[in-house]
Order: sequence, then structure tokens, then C-alpha cells
Amino acid sequence: MNGITGRALRYGVPTVVAVVLYFVASEVRLSLVTQFTSLALLAVLAMAWNLVGGFGAQFSLGHALFVGAGGYTTVVLLDRASLPLFLCIPLAGLVAAILGVVLAYPMLRLRGPYFAIGTLGISLAVLGWMLNWDFTYASRSYALAPSAIPSFLDLGRVSLVVALLTLLVVLLIMDLPLGLRLLALRDDEQGAIMLGARRVRTIVPVWAISAFLTGTMGALVAVQAGSVTPTQAFSLQFTLDAVIICVIGGLGTVYGPLLGAVVVFVLRQYTADFSEWSLLIEALIVILIVRFAPLGLLGLFQRLFKQIWRSIGFRGPAVNRDAKTPVGAAQ
Amino acid sequence: MDLLVQGLLLGGLYTTTALGLSLVFGVIKMVNLAHGEFLVVGAYLTSILVALFGLDPLLLSIPAALALAAIAYPLQRYVLSPVMQRSGEAPIIVTFGVAIVAQTLLLLSFGSSPRTVNAPYATMQFEVFGVPVRTSLLIATVIGVLLVFVLHYMLYKTPFGRRVRAASTDPEAAGFVGIDTKHTYALVLSIAAGISAIGGTLIALSFAVSPESGTGWLLRAFTVVIIGGLGSIRGALVGALILGLVETFGSAWFGPQYRDVIVFGGLVLMLLIRPSGLFGKAVRA
Repeated sequence: MNGITGRALRYGVPTVVAVVLYFVASEVRLSLVTQFTSLALLAVLAMAWNLVGGFGAQFSLGHALFVGAGGYTTVVLLDRASLPLFLCIPLAGLVAAILGVVLAYPMLRLRGPYFAIGTLGISLAVLGWMLNWDFTYASRSYALAPSAIPSFLDLGRVSLVVALLTLLVVLLIMDLPLGLRLLALRDDEQGAIMLGARRVRTIVPVWAISAFLTGTMGALVAVQAGSVTPTQAFSLQFTLDAVIICVIGGLGTVYGPLLGAVVVFVLRQYTADFSEWSLLIEALIVILIVRFAPLGLLGLFQRLFKQIWRSIGFRGPAVNRDAKTPVGAAQ
Repeated sequence: MDLLVQGLLLGGLYTTTALGLSLVFGVIKMVNLAHGEFLVVGAYLTSILVALFGLDPLLLSIPAALALAAIAYPLQRYVLSPVMQRSGEAPIIVTFGVAIVAQTLLLLSFGSSPRTVNAPYATMQFEVFGVPVRTSLLIATVIGVLLVFVLHYMLYKTPFGRRVRAASTDPEAAGFVGIDTKHTYALVLSIAAGISAIGGTLIALSFAVSPESGTGWLLRAFTVVIIGGLGSIRGALVGALILGLVETFGSAWFGPQYRDVIVFGGLVLMLLIRPSGLFGKAVRA
């Protein structure tokens, strides 16, 4: 789907869906809104990670750091500066993004597994620091005043808006030359560099955007919980979630993380009392996916649909038939 | 002086815990993100065997090592080796998945409470010239040094070692001369898993392990491997001793609550400054 119509559809449909959901939200049960909030936050986390980990092929194991930074920033701002919430959330993203840029320059000197281990190390080192930092009450819980916590409905709506913006930002990046350079560097680094793409200059802005989005997600998680503790806010679980969702849905695709978030979320709803079981199943799916279907569920579905189309005589768009590797931008 | 001995002994323990990672790193050129879980699962296996048979944990760590090696072989042969050819990122994701599977299985079977392996000498300590020495750490150090020598001998002085090194340096050419590289790689991961099971037992003799402690041990092992030089077996010994000293002196100066900050911060610094190890040649990482 390219051209003006395709683009309008790609940007328009999610926006319309989000607007509809925004107004439907006040009509449905509150428990449903709360569930949707969690789903939207998972999707934001996954889409943000996917920018770096999927499109950029930088396997970050440090995104929990941005979640925690966003969460703590919000709580500190709400508590000590008593700023309004709608200002705190972008500021939390900003702090995470600045942190991301500062870390990106040294971290991007590392590659592949080194990058993964390096970011994991930083994330755990910061957790170790936060457990001892008196400014944020060290390892004790830092609670918000009840008056500062928004209603479930408002929180759901804000999460919805953040999720929509995240999707639009991802779409936009992949439509810009920046996204093309990112994909080029992922697919053939030497070739892309020879054609003038600069590795660090391409990845740093994307990394900053990813950190920003993850920071806003962390802010919403903190507000939803009403308090933060270092072990919860910087929990490795966030990093696990992001990786699992993206791999299951389809690494380096626009809609894969969305699909993955829905799948993982539904799975978790069904196994709500046995969170370990759910994680076990997710991890097994991840291994199977990497082994047998590297394009994730999205890739599987696309292949399935293509076969169904073909079996009923429709040959499908001629351009895509021979494509062996997924092109993240145009789907 | 106390700190020096403590640090060296801690380093001795780290040697065994890092050897498996270093071996896999050197031969298969793969970072095994499940390494920490290999250690922890090994410790749990031994502790089950101890509960069943009531024999000495060090003795029982041998069947535990064999069991873990038996799990590792098909993992490398049928999952990791096939995906490795496709992309460099795939084995990272798979070992990451394996780590989560192992962690959740442990949580489901044994709960989250920490576990130790009991032995008469686990809590004992004696004094040499007035310096207290923990018996369990001393045993760990001796085993670590022994394993370094055995592994080094195996890699450089036996026909099997020659095959391993050939399969590592040039898998394709090794295939031409009749070396089954997939089988060799799988054996190497098995050996690494076996050593890790022993390493995990040694950890559990001196400290407690819990299902979540794998990540911390993975990063410690990785730090050791980075300091000692990638894939170098003897380097692992040096790296482990250095890390043991740094950690012990660091936490004595800054306070034990900053132990994690020191170790993980040190890892990141080391990665940035000398990713090829203190003694390694400059290689692009």
C-alpha cells in the first residue's frame, strides 16, 4: 500500500479507531477500561522497543531503565514540583530521551551481543543505584498523593492517545528517509555506509524517540500503580515483555508489536492467576518462532492469507510476490 | 590482607562460573544469555540430588552436570545451530527465551525462596596466619583452577580439542576434512553446561541461589570473560581473580549495598574501554 491513498489509510484508520475508542470509553465498564489501559501500555512499550530492537537491529536489554526513569520523573515532578499531570508525562519522556542520548553514544560503540549485555549491565547498575538513592527514598516505596492520581477513565484515555501517537510516530519514521537509512543499515551495514548512511547519526535519533516513548509509558505505569519502588519501576520484566511481544508479533514490522501485545495480553488474561505459566508459554513461543517462523505471527498470517488468496485465484499484488525479506515500511 | 584473600577466593569461585560462557564464546562465537540459568539450574539439580541421596554435593554435582549437558546438546544441535546460520541476532533471542523458560520452570517447581546446598564444610572457615578462609570458597578456587587446566589441556593437546578449534576457526573448511561441526558445537555447549552445573553447585555452597539470580551471575561471568579476553580459557582465571578483588575492595570502600553498582558499572566501563580484554589485542567488538 503506497501512494497517497495508502498513506491516508495507514494514518487515518488507526486515528479513527482511536477517536471512536476515546468516546466509547465512557460508556463501557470501568474494568474493561483498566484492562485496555494495560494493553495499550504494553503495546507502547513493544512499539518503542521495536524501533531500536526490530528496525534498528540493536538488541537492547536496557529498556527497563527508561520505564523506571519515566516513572520516577513523573512521581518526583508530581510530588515535589506539583506540576499538572499532562505536563509531567512528556517531561518524563524527555528525561528518558536525554538519558537515552547520553547512553547511546558510548553504547553504540558496542555491537550485537555486546550491546545487549552492555545495556543490561547499565540497567542493573542504575537499579542498584536507585536502591540506595535517598532522594527517591532508596528502596522504599515512593507513593503519590491520592489527589494526584487521575481517574481510571482519564488514565485509559491518556494511554490510548499515547498508543496512537506511538503508532503514528513509528509510521512516520518509517516513511521518512531516516527510517529507510535505519533499515538499510540493518540489512547491509557496509553497503549502507558506503552509500552515505551514518550509523550512529541514524540510530541515535531513533534511540532517543524510543526512549521518549518508553519513558512516557513508564510515567503512565507509575501513575496507574500510584507509587514506585526501584525493583518495580526498573523491573527486568519490562524488557522481557518488550522483547517477547516483538518477537511473537513480528520483529521489525510496524504492526507486529501491536499483534504481539494483543496475543500476550489475552494469554495473560486467561492465565491471570498463574503468571509464571504465562511467561513460560510466551518464552516457548518465542523460541519456536525464532526457529520456525522468524517473521513472527504477522509473517505467518501474511503467508496464510497469501495462500488463501492464491487458492481462490487471486494472484496478489505483483510487487510483493517475490519479496523474501519483509520491508517494514510498506505493509 | 583479609580483603585480598577474600577477593582472590571470590575470584576463584567466579572462575568456574565463567568458564562455560568463555568456552561457548570462544568456540561457537555466541553469547549464551542463558548462561546464568545454566548455573542456577545446575545448583538446583545438585540440591535435589543431595536431598534424594544425602551424599556429598560435590560428588553429586557430577550427575547434575551430565544431566544438564544432556539437555544442552539437543538445544545447540536442533535449535541454536540452525538459527545461527540465519542471523546473528537469532541465537541471542533463543538463549534469552531459554533463560526465561528455565527461570519460570524453577519458579513453578520450587517457588521463589532462595536455596542453598548443604554440606558440612559449607559454613566452615579456618585461619591461616590469622586470615580467615572460607572452606567452601577455597574448594571452589581449587576446582576452578583444576578445570582451567583440564579444559586448556583438552582444547590444545587432544584430537578432540583439535577438532573443536578447527570447527571454530573455519567451520566450512573443517566440514571439508570430515569434522561434523554441528555435533562438535553441540558437544561444546554440553561441556559448557556441565561445567556450569558444577559452577552452580559451588555458588550454592557459598551463597544462596534463587530462580531470579541467574541474570546477576550471567553479568558477572560476562565481566570475567571480558576482563580476561574473549574466549580465552586461561584469561577467565585472571579475569575472575581481578573481578573478585575489585568487587571485594570496592564493596569494602563504598559499602556492600553498592556491590551491584560496582560490578555492573565495571562491566560497562570495561566494555567501553577494552572490549577485547586487558591483555587482548585490539579487535573490533
